[in-house]
Amino acid sequence: MAASINCWKCLSRPSIAVIQLSSRVARVAASAPFSSTSTNLALPAPTRKAASTTKGVKTNLKINKKPRPKESRKPPATGERKALRKRIVLSNTNALEVAGMEDLSPEIVDAIAKDTAEGEAGSGLVGKVVGLPGATVDSLRAIEAFKTTQGWGLFRRPGTLIRKETADLTRALLAAQKEKSTLTLMLDGAKGTGKSMMLLQAQASAFAKSWIVLHIPEAQELSNGVNDYAPIPGSDLWAQPTYTAEWLAKIGKANNEILKTLKMKNTHNLPVPIEKDITLARFCELGSRDPDIAWSFFQAFWTELNLPGRPPVLLTLDGMSYIMGMSEYRDTDNKFIHCHNLALVKHFADHISGTSKLANGGAIIGSTSRSHNPISLSMDLAIYQALQRQAKQEITQKDPFEKKYDERATKALQNASAMMIGGLTKKESRGLMEYWAASGVLRQRVDEQTVAERWALAGHGVAAEIQRGALRMRI
Amino acid sequence: MPPRLNFHTAARSLTIRSRPIAATYQPRIAHVVSRRGFAEEKQPATGPNQDILPGVSEEARDMGDITGETKPEIEQGTPIQDILKRDPEALKKAPAVIKEELDAEKKAADVENTTFGNLLALGQLEKASEGEYVGHKFGLPDLPLPKDGNLHYRYDPVVDQVTNLLMAHGKLSVAQRNMAYILNHLRTSPPPTPNPLRPLLPGSPPASHLPLNPVLYLTLAIDSIAPLLRIRSQKGAAGGGAALQIPVPLGLRQRRRTAIQWILDSANKRQSRGSGKFQFAQRFADEIISVVEGRSTVWEKRSLVHKTGTSARANLMFGQRRRRIAH
Repeated sequence: MAASINCWKCLSRPSIAVIQLSSRVARVAASAPFSSTSTNLALPAPTRKAASTTKGVKTNLKINKKPRPKESRKPPATGERKALRKRIVLSNTNALEVAGMEDLSPEIVDAIAKDTAEGEAGSGLVGKVVGLPGATVDSLRAIEAFKTTQGWGLFRRPGTLIRKETADLTRALLAAQKEKSTLTLMLDGAKGTGKSMMLLQAQASAFAKSWIVLHIPEAQELSNGVNDYAPIPGSDLWAQPTYTAEWLAKIGKANNEILKTLKMKNTHNLPVPIEKDITLARFCELGSRDPDIAWSFFQAFWTELNLPGRPPVLLTLDGMSYIMGMSEYRDTDNKFIHCHNLALVKHFADHISGTSKLANGGAIIGSTSRSHNPISLSMDLAIYQALQRQAKQEITQKDPFEKKYDERATKALQNASAMMIGGLTKKESRGLMEYWAASGVLRQRVDEQTVAERWALAGHGVAAEIQRGALRMRI
Repeated sequence: MPPRLNFHTAARSLTIRSRPIAATYQPRIAHVVSRRGFAEEKQPATGPNQDILPGVSEEARDMGDITGETKPEIEQGTPIQDILKRDPEALKKAPAVIKEELDAEKKAADVENTTFGNLLALGQLEKASEGEYVGHKFGLPDLPLPKDGNLHYRYDPVVDQVTNLLMAHGKLSVAQRNMAYILNHLRTSPPPTPNPLRPLLPGSPPASHLPLNPVLYLTLAIDSIAPLLRIRSQKGAAGGGAALQIPVPLGLRQRRRTAIQWILDSANKRQSRGSGKFQFAQRFADEIISVVEGRSTVWEKRSLVHKTGTSARANLMFGQRRRRIAH
């Protein structure tokens, strides 16, 4: 076998003659222009990368990034994050039990009512913190009276400060119960002064006195278009089926103790047949099952509550300015629906205006919200006028050049009384701070000087500001 | 061999200096205002350019005084007061009307010259002589002054330091809100169960006491993991371009700072379980709890630094040695 240049397996070296010959062939091939042999044999020319040289063509600038590291833990389930955010904690097992704290029993409610009354010996409860009994706490939790911002989670068990306004309100509630009259009240005050807390105290007193309590914790949920709505046939009203169903469920749960002792008396025109002689608790439960029937069930429930021999009713609403104008819902003509055309809101408005009365006595209380709330000129004016009326001052008339008044809101609120809630007194502030100190949460000496300091720094006793300064370390 | 005497240095101490080496400072321009006494409230301050020359006639009169020539009459007539001043006989024999007038003028001049401050002082002296307390409108503060009495030092130093390190984009109030959340989280979470393998600072209170004193809780966690030293890598000092690790002792604030940074790092790596604005604060608070319970990886970091420091302790005098050689 003749050794060739390319045969690497051959151990024999190629003879010089062969090398010379092969190089000569190559030279001939290169010099012979008409031979295609070498070009055919040659490898295909390496294609140039288009990216680097071609003009006008987009280059691929993508840098291969590292993929995001996968979470080793399972992410929170749907709704879990929100639940964590909205969770209401009512107990801190680290906090100390406050000795000698009384519970808000019916007797204590009576004592509170007598406290600032003229011609009565005070029970000395104003300026003290009273505890909420377990059953009341469950009911208040069911109607969503507690808020996440109120700092319940710092103390051993829920307690609330009795202040002068509390005593006044309790007295008015008890008078309404006694006379079977309807108290209509608007609560107002600066941000953080305790309007929602006053509502809560009214509700707690009502629960202690075996009233039936209905509460709308956030009025904006009724008007800002987050719930489904449907026209009620034969009227210009709109029902909010899901909200009503959930509300009925809450009412049934919160007032279960009383409602399960009350039986249906009348027969109502209901869309679904129900058993006879069922309790009102059961009736609420049935109504909450199907959103489509909830509104009719609520109407029947309300009629039942107003039958003679039923307990008094407390209907409360927080964030009143949200329901004193146009809602975010639209009608069939794509126009905004007025809030008072929403059936639930109209129910509240009719009662606070005094057109509908509570047959067994009770109260309708609306509270304003002063943080991030819509401005309702009519509501503000109505509150102002009510305060002037109560003080027997000259009543301010509405601005004739102002166009933003809402006639329906004015009409709804013109007969209601009002209560302005201001800062705590120094005595009340001291009671509150002593409670904090006794709970072990405030690590500071509580004396006249420190109380005066906190009181002054908190805008003359704005409760939330005192709390913020003392418990949340912000000054 | 005794050290050689250097005559130059020995002679230096013998020189007699008649003058001070540095001239005492003598300001060219007198500080007129600052030299004024407190009692001189009535006279306005005069600056260097406020010495105005007298009028022409006054100058002529002065010149006449010097040269003895006739001088212009400046005052039209000699006032009676001047005559009475010069002549005590005349004063004695003066009519009662003039005497009264003179007395009134004297009194008025006294009142005019008494300043408000002087009057106040006189009043207080009178009161003091009657044995009444004179002094402070709001009383004196109790001494010693409290540590947090100053506006700028109202928070605990550890709380202050953590707040500042929590702060992002210069938003101090957000950091303060987060700090408040952290402290309240420590307050409300169940008491920690410390790990005996990861001992906290000696003398720390029992774990059940911690939640109700959240500042102490935070301080204890931070001080327990604060490293005693840091490792400085001196480039090329180990020879052949290798870095030499030198342990450097840290002060209290620096130790705490390192610990807080470690906690912040591991809080950053945690995963949030909820939603809302206090997620980071929650993770930070959880990290504090896990530090006290000995579960945190920050403990590893601390022991690593300490181990490196121990093994590199031979390099401790690195800088000093070199300085001594150079000397």
